[in-house]
Amino acid sequence: MKTLVHNHAVGRFMREPLCSIVLDKSQRIHQPGEMLRGEYQIDAVDPADILAVELSVLWYTEGKGDEDLAVHYFERHTPDDGGPPMLHELHRFEVVLPNSPLSYEGVLIKLRWCVRLRVFLRQGKDVIAERDFQLGEVPYARPVKT
Amino acid sequence: MANRWFVLESPLLEASFVAGRSFRMYGKKRGNRRTGSKALASVGEAVVFAFFFVLGTGFMVLLVRMPVLPEWRVNHDFVETTGVVERVQVSQPTDGSQGYRAAVLIQYNAGGKTRRHWTYDISFDTAWASSSDRQSQQALIDRFVPGKAYPVWYDPRDPDTVVVARGYSGWLWSLLLLPASFIVIGGGGLIYAGLQWGKSAERLAAQAQLAPRFEQFDDSAAAKDFPNVPRDANLTNSPGTRLKYRLPIITTNGWRLAALTLLALVWNGIVVALLVMAVRRAISGRPDVWLFVFVVPFLAGGLGLIYFLVRQAVIASGVGPTQLEVSDHPLFPGRHYDLLLSQIGRLTMKSLAVDLVCEEQATFRQGTDTRTHTCRVYQKRIFDRQAFDIPQGLAFQQQCRVEIPPEAMHSLQADHNLVQWKFVVRGEAGGWPPFERSFPIVVYPNPAGGRRPEAISKPWRQEESPHFSHKAPLNGDSLRL
Repeated sequence: MKTLVHNHAVGRFMREPLCSIVLDKSQRIHQPGEMLRGEYQIDAVDPADILAVELSVLWYTEGKGDEDLAVHYFERHTPDDGGPPMLHELHRFEVVLPNSPLSYEGVLIKLRWCVRLRVFLRQGKDVIAERDFQLGEVPYARPVKT
Repeated sequence: MANRWFVLESPLLEASFVAGRSFRMYGKKRGNRRTGSKALASVGEAVVFAFFFVLGTGFMVLLVRMPVLPEWRVNHDFVETTGVVERVQVSQPTDGSQGYRAAVLIQYNAGGKTRRHWTYDISFDTAWASSSDRQSQQALIDRFVPGKAYPVWYDPRDPDTVVVARGYSGWLWSLLLLPASFIVIGGGGLIYAGLQWGKSAERLAAQAQLAPRFEQFDDSAAAKDFPNVPRDANLTNSPGTRLKYRLPIITTNGWRLAALTLLALVWNGIVVALLVMAVRRAISGRPDVWLFVFVVPFLAGGLGLIYFLVRQAVIASGVGPTQLEVSDHPLFPGRHYDLLLSQIGRLTMKSLAVDLVCEEQATFRQGTDTRTHTCRVYQKRIFDRQAFDIPQGLAFQQQCRVEIPPEAMHSLQADHNLVQWKFVVRGEAGGWPPFERSFPIVVYPNPAGGRRPEAISKPWRQEESPHFSHKAPLNGDSLRL
């Protein structure tokens, strides 16, 4: 599957890379201390156009407050950093998930975990793909009338 | 130019594919979120910091070249010799500027030649040598007696440059702080912008999170094993009398009283000044009716402030202190803990209650303002008692048992978002307005990692009926002070 999208920066249609993130565990819910395993791949792009690839396991907040973001796991690869030379090929990753913070669906605050893949392209753009998952099983909250 | 993508999930492949959305150069801003060109924002930021840096550097160079370096050279490089004072006078500068300056005609030998020059210090021929205060300039030259010899200092590079007074002008050196602060702000900002240039938010966050690993003192369990769960060191450093820990109280009354006191002082200070002015005019036979009319509403406001201040002070000190002790800390979901409530003071209580409460707190920027919103998402009554007396010299004490809900969200502390658990004591005593006192606690994540199966389908909600775990008779648990 390839997607053609309009690039407003250059004013023409161009082919964008397809980024895929696959987690080994089919269930969306993961528990603290559990090993998160998966793989990612970048397709539909000339490998020479990829400047760098960053994979992060992180959480961020959504909601009323300004966004908080913290990275639990981070890896960055460039063609000349001694890592895998072909950045677009399938790569595996595994991370032990932390004890906190747990995913949370609050009233003012929503805390979300995800695996984020960021691909830096030669023309100066970067492309992001995310795979959400849930850490822990905290039920959603509702406001209490005081 | 970051481009955000929606994720399209394929159930068969369990993969996520991306499709783009349009990019905007300028966009709405709310707090830290900005839709627009990140690169353009970085350039703008760098330009602002570069402006500060260049401005500070230019000003610094000017200051160093004009007063600072010459003064430093006088005190370190100039050669000391002896000169004879021929005349002293307070004169006006030769450049035609207004003011007076101290001047001494000195004769001295330098470079094998006898020289005569009007001088005083190194700033003699500069604009800031003159002063409008003639007496101060006269005082500078009073110590020089014509015909007597004094130490003088001349520039070895230019022996015609001579001074009869050395030292540093402190106010000029203190001016260095201004360009220095510009340089620090501009330079620091440029370094910051340079370090952030071209880096993703994740990479910056990962780098920032490396720093705490080197903090020797941040070795608590919460910091190491439970990221973003607040530390409980301040909650466990006070032992209880019957249970393990005495919980600290969140005090807001102290600050409110201090602010009110300051307001009352300033307001009434102005009122008194106006009153004194009005009374003086009245005594001198020139009463100003309009001034009196102007002062009266301010006087009424000042008296009202004093009344409110006294009332608040009496409320704060009248109802005795409330204490809460807990059998363990931190607290874990699904576990039971003992709680000891203690209320001191000779009071006729209409009601006294303890709630276990969880609140979300979100801080965000709106324009130039920083706002904080709070929402209570859990509340459960732990203890409730109506209509009883607390006699003089006795503390009302009640031990309760509390369960942290198994499905509870743990305490969370991030830069802008908080989930805070606390015990809230509410009371109403005869003759006093209702009071509310909060005792923060830290709830750790559920050690089982999950919630009870039966709780999955229902959200947290306020318990409809009060929960009493221990119904001791009134004062049965009281303790004599």
